[in-house]
Amino acid sequence: MQPAVELNEVSKSFRVRRARSGGASARVRELFRARTETVLAVDRLSFSIAPGERVAFIGPNGAGKSTTLKVLAGILRPDAGEVRVLGLVPSRQRHALAFQIGTVFGQRSQLWYQLPPRDTFELLGRVYDLDRRSHAQRIAMLTAVFELGSLVDTPVRHLSLGERMRCEIVASLLHSPHILFLDEPTIGLDVSAKAVIRELLRTESERERVTLLLTSHDTGDMERVCTRVIVIHGGRLLWDGPIGALRRGYLKTKRVTLWSDAEHLELAMPGVRVLASGSYRTELEVALDITPLGRVIDAAVRVAPIRDMAIDDAPLDDVIRALYANADNRSGAS
Amino acid sequence: MAAPSNGLAFARALVATNVKGALALRGAFVLQVVFMALNNFTFFVFWWVLMRRVTTLRGWQIGDIQVLFGIVAAAFGLAVTVAGGVRHLGRFIDEGDLDTLLTQPRSVLVYALGIRSQPSGFGDLISGAIFIAWSGQVSWRTLPVVVAAVVASALIFVACGVLFFSLAFWLGKVESAARQIWELLITFSLYPEPLFGGLIRLALFTVLPAGFVGYLPVRLVHEPSLLHAAVLSGGAAAYLALAVLVFDRGLRRYASGSRFSTFG
Amino acid sequence: MTRFIRRYAAFARIAIAQARRERAELYGRAAFFVVILGVFSSLWRAAADAGLPVAAEPRSLVWYLAATEWIVLSAPPIHLDIQEAIRRGDVVYQLGRPVSYVIAEFASALGLLAFRAPLLGLAAFLCAYAFTGWIPPLGALAIVVPFGLAAAALLTALFLWTGLLAFWLQDVSPVYWLGQKLMFILGGLMLPLTVYPEIVRRIAALTPFPVVLGEPASFLLKDAMVTPGALVRNLAIWCCMTALALGWIFRRARVALTINGG
Repeated sequence: MQPAVELNEVSKSFRVRRARSGGASARVRELFRARTETVLAVDRLSFSIAPGERVAFIGPNGAGKSTTLKVLAGILRPDAGEVRVLGLVPSRQRHALAFQIGTVFGQRSQLWYQLPPRDTFELLGRVYDLDRRSHAQRIAMLTAVFELGSLVDTPVRHLSLGERMRCEIVASLLHSPHILFLDEPTIGLDVSAKAVIRELLRTESERERVTLLLTSHDTGDMERVCTRVIVIHGGRLLWDGPIGALRRGYLKTKRVTLWSDAEHLELAMPGVRVLASGSYRTELEVALDITPLGRVIDAAVRVAPIRDMAIDDAPLDDVIRALYANADNRSGAS
Repeated sequence: MAAPSNGLAFARALVATNVKGALALRGAFVLQVVFMALNNFTFFVFWWVLMRRVTTLRGWQIGDIQVLFGIVAAAFGLAVTVAGGVRHLGRFIDEGDLDTLLTQPRSVLVYALGIRSQPSGFGDLISGAIFIAWSGQVSWRTLPVVVAAVVASALIFVACGVLFFSLAFWLGKVESAARQIWELLITFSLYPEPLFGGLIRLALFTVLPAGFVGYLPVRLVHEPSLLHAAVLSGGAAAYLALAVLVFDRGLRRYASGSRFSTFG
Repeated sequence: MTRFIRRYAAFARIAIAQARRERAELYGRAAFFVVILGVFSSLWRAAADAGLPVAAEPRSLVWYLAATEWIVLSAPPIHLDIQEAIRRGDVVYQLGRPVSYVIAEFASALGLLAFRAPLLGLAAFLCAYAFTGWIPPLGALAIVVPFGLAAAALLTALFLWTGLLAFWLQDVSPVYWLGQKLMFILGGLMLPLTVYPEIVRRIAALTPFPVVLGEPASFLLKDAMVTPGALVRNLAIWCCMTALALGWIFRRARVALTINGG
């Protein structure tokens, strides 16, 4: 079967002209001088995605996620390499591809701000040249599935961010695309809104066999929606595989911060690394597959009374750094 | 590729949605329409006072000034109500707002122009119509000519806006400068052309086509001739073609991702 | 008193620093002088040919227009910034600080004015000289400059008042446009008020516009509209009234904020 997305050694760099000041005359001068810097955003990226897969595209800021997404959507032209989305070349066949892809940009809206979402939905029917009757039916169906109810007739400016995001996703699905690109779809949402969005994305993708590619900073998006994760860092592919493998390898650590009556909390346990200690505050990194959290807390309480405690997931940057370090080790070993 | 006939359906739907969006805030809409109309009438008082004293200025009478104001106001109003996105084009380009439009199977330019409407434009349209009626120089017979002239001028306003604001593709933040040049076009359009000397007159028919927007339509109303009509429509077509070309080039540059950023 | 000045002078300094970076707009304004004075030189010559008495000396009319435009363009369009701040909710934070929001905004606007006025004044002077080939008596210029600056400050206060309307209006632009055009006509931006019919002059007398535009600039004409002493008095009266209006509208705004919770 033809892959939904195919990238082969794709590179993209930006020629950035930098001017010393913001003045118009300075910028015009710079236009004629060739003082440019090259920023390599995507570096020989290769991967492919099968139809119906749900892939998370994870990486820190500036890693090249949005750039890759824009290349796939046909917004940016790559400098090198081959890209095929649904068999089409995005930069050359943008028009044809546009009928088959949907996009949701978390930081931008495609809904008209002063009007109810329904008006945008109807306009999109004309954009994608959809038959009126089936379009109306599809609006009704998606409105029901996404539980929009009366929201669809409420002006967008009156909607909360979570409600708006649901409408954005509906808008992107109206023309029954084969693949949906989502750039930070849950950014700024509260916990319950995120949960709703994630659930809807997952079930909708399963129901209609829509391939999903979503970029995010939030590992929750990754775990709840997707089956596969691609990690990108510095424009390079760092890790590509099923979620389970990543979880097993890297995400089962927790950061535990303890405030106790002891100025320094001495804890020597396997799987527990002391990150910082002093001023009655101790920060630990616990590898959960080695030592359960409960045992660590028990041990700490036996050393000194604990006044306060905070438990956090290992920050994504740490995971990436660990991945990066691991990749270096592997390349060093081979 | 969407067939041309469906392109028309899309354009119609886009304009309808755009206007609906402008009407959505009823109070603000009425305020903008009324105040803009009053704004235009107030400005005209200057000419009323002046022409009362001199009656004729380089062959122009107050009726001529009214036709000029009427056509320019109506054309500008038409431009910013239907294609109101033109005023924001620089910002769209600089802030990456064209991305969403690029993922949809329609002309990015048409979409970007039709994605905003300025309610005050309706005030310009209404005051423009009133000026034209008040001038006493337009009869039912010449009304179609006036309407055609208004449409041609509106197209030139939009085309020039696209040209000026498209500089953002190459120069980044040009919002302020481009807007001032565009407003210069409007300023020049509102003054009788005989006031200007040779070199300026040349500029007003080339780089800053105030002559096409204001003067030619007034000539057309006075002497509806095929020649004038041809020159006006030819001018409108030429500026439009240039605008589309420049925007298309700019869009290709946008797709290459070259951006302007500043430091220091 | 010095502490008061020092506190608000800081706002002015920040504004000036920011203005230095927004030079593009200022160049545009300066270029506008070239255009508008050029257009009006031709206009007044044509009007003189057509027999308009006041245009008998078209060059002093051009200088008159240079002065009124200088005042109008020097005053920074702060109503937009204030509208934006109110929309974003920044105002609520300012209210908590131990400075008066209105005075602070006015101070920073004066800073901007102090930056713009000399540059635009130079542009006005050069363009007027280029188009007329004549310089008015230095005595007249010496009177126009300080009065012009004071008038521009008053105009800035009026813009501030307009901006504060954003507490109630979604968009203050329509009010600004109409106010601006009324100012052009009733203040005598292009034509001195002496040419206008009696009814217009009587209406104008009820507004601050003649004091802002026509009266200061009229010292460049053969017959000034007022004496310097009278203008000082008029300016003082309108400054007081504007200050009262600002205080009033801001008090109403605070009430609106506390009731609606921002």
